[in-house]
Amino acid sequence: MFAFEFPPINEILRWQDIFPGFNKIALIAVAATVISVSLFLIAARQDYREAPTGTRNLAEISVEFIEENIIMQTMGRDGLGWTPFLLSLFLFIYLCNVPGIIPILQMPATARMAIPIFLAIVVWFVYNVTGIKHQGFFGYFKSVLFPPGVPKALYVLVTPIEFISTIVVRPFSLAVRLFANMLAGHLLLVIFALLSEALFEARDKVLIPLGVLPFGMLIFLTGFEVLVGFLQAFIFTILTAVYIAGAAHPEH
Amino acid sequence: MEVLARLAAAAADPAEAKNIAAAGSAGFAYGLAAIGPGIGIGIIFGNAIEAMARQPEAAGMVRTTMFLGIAFTEALALIGFVVFILLKYA
Amino acid sequence: MQHAVATLSGGNLVSLRWVSSETTDTTMPTEMMTTDTPMVASAAVAETTGPNPISPEMKELQWGAGSFIVLFILMRLVLFPRLKKGMDARYAGIRSDHEDADAAKSGARADVVAYETALNDVRAQAATRIDAARQTLDTERQSQLAQVNSRIAARRAEADDRASAVKSAGRGQISDAVAAIATRAGEIASGRTPDAAVVKQAVVSAMESAGAR
Repeated sequence: MFAFEFPPINEILRWQDIFPGFNKIALIAVAATVISVSLFLIAARQDYREAPTGTRNLAEISVEFIEENIIMQTMGRDGLGWTPFLLSLFLFIYLCNVPGIIPILQMPATARMAIPIFLAIVVWFVYNVTGIKHQGFFGYFKSVLFPPGVPKALYVLVTPIEFISTIVVRPFSLAVRLFANMLAGHLLLVIFALLSEALFEARDKVLIPLGVLPFGMLIFLTGFEVLVGFLQAFIFTILTAVYIAGAAHPEH
Repeated sequence: MEVLARLAAAAADPAEAKNIAAAGSAGFAYGLAAIGPGIGIGIIFGNAIEAMARQPEAAGMVRTTMFLGIAFTEALALIGFVVFILLKYA
Repeated sequence: MQHAVATLSGGNLVSLRWVSSETTDTTMPTEMMTTDTPMVASAAVAETTGPNPISPEMKELQWGAGSFIVLFILMRLVLFPRLKKGMDARYAGIRSDHEDADAAKSGARADVVAYETALNDVRAQAATRIDAARQTLDTERQSQLAQVNSRIAARRAEADDRASAVKSAGRGQISDAVAAIATRAGEIASGRTPDAAVVKQAVVSAMESAGAR
């Protein structure tokens, strides 16, 4: 009836090298850094005494978003020193997510495992080091593995669970959450785009008007991906803030 | 499942049979993994809306906590999705 | 069957699309499918037995990690402090401006109060001065009036004196004349000359009783 065959997944996700060792994912990652850096450089060049407009406004909104919606909600006032780290984390993830819906690029860099797993490992190091710094090596592992207020007999059960959840599952789930969300969104977009293309170009002329349906879904999903890209960057950042806050002040 | 087994038996090539079985169980893996988180996210959202309706002044805090809860719950479904891909392509 | 066709232009990936062999004639010019032109390369990515889609690729890991580390270091050392300094400076400026405005407002209020007290002072001074002027004017008028009245009274007294003198002189002449007439009449009537003093007294008493009537 009509030709629709889903391509092998590596065909969708693995990109040809633009030059050796540098493909589209790397391009998007580098572009994310370049865009963030130039955003802040241009913003810093504008006169700070006047009311912020344009680029400066954007940069200041992002800073205030991190400070008010992420740090103040999780770490409180003494966590404000983490703003540069969380800000660069948020901007980097967001700018890696957004190309998933930008025409021509059409690929979220976080839909490949490389960037999420790297960021998750960085976060893992950051919160563990923060915990060790604030409570000492043994204090930190004591508060992680033997949470206070648990009956002594239950430690047999609680300690392995806590160890696995804090040391193993946290970075894994952090990476997988970002990766799988973006990959699922990207695959949905690919499926509906291929479906509408196949329907629009079907031999059978009756099928051509039906192509409007997957095309409408494609537009809806593109709008949805805007939300998902932002939300995943937000969730990754706020979870990082929660982990750091938990490591720095275990009683909360 | 019976259909799957029959399909696998029908495929002469053992590699082909493995592929068919993997495709079928991958679908089940994701479908089953989505049930629990679906219910869980529904409960989280419902309670968050109720909390926001009762105390609109606490809406910001409730929303942040809601996203955290959804992130944790959703992770299960996403692990199912990853298992789907592992089964299908590994 | 489908092929991925990547269009390269000057080393940049311009487009990458799926071409199924059935629709090739409608979607793509046939020369695009040939691999011998340098601009178009049939993508070598279409390998069904490639690495697992979940496993991270080394080059992506390196570039992603490098980009993030560069971004973080720049953000930590240069970008964020600079922006934050500007923001803090502006917030401090806004706060100090607010304080300045408050100070200016209270200063203006104090000025208004001072102006009003000064105005009241001046008004009170003017009122006292007007009162004083009115008072002096009144006293002057009183004194002038009194002076004029006294002058009038003196003149009147003088005139009265003069009038009474003239009257009494007139009356003396009249009484003399009446006495002379009476004496003459008596002489004629009695042939005797009456005592002049008695006649005069009688005439005077008669005139006075007439004047009293």
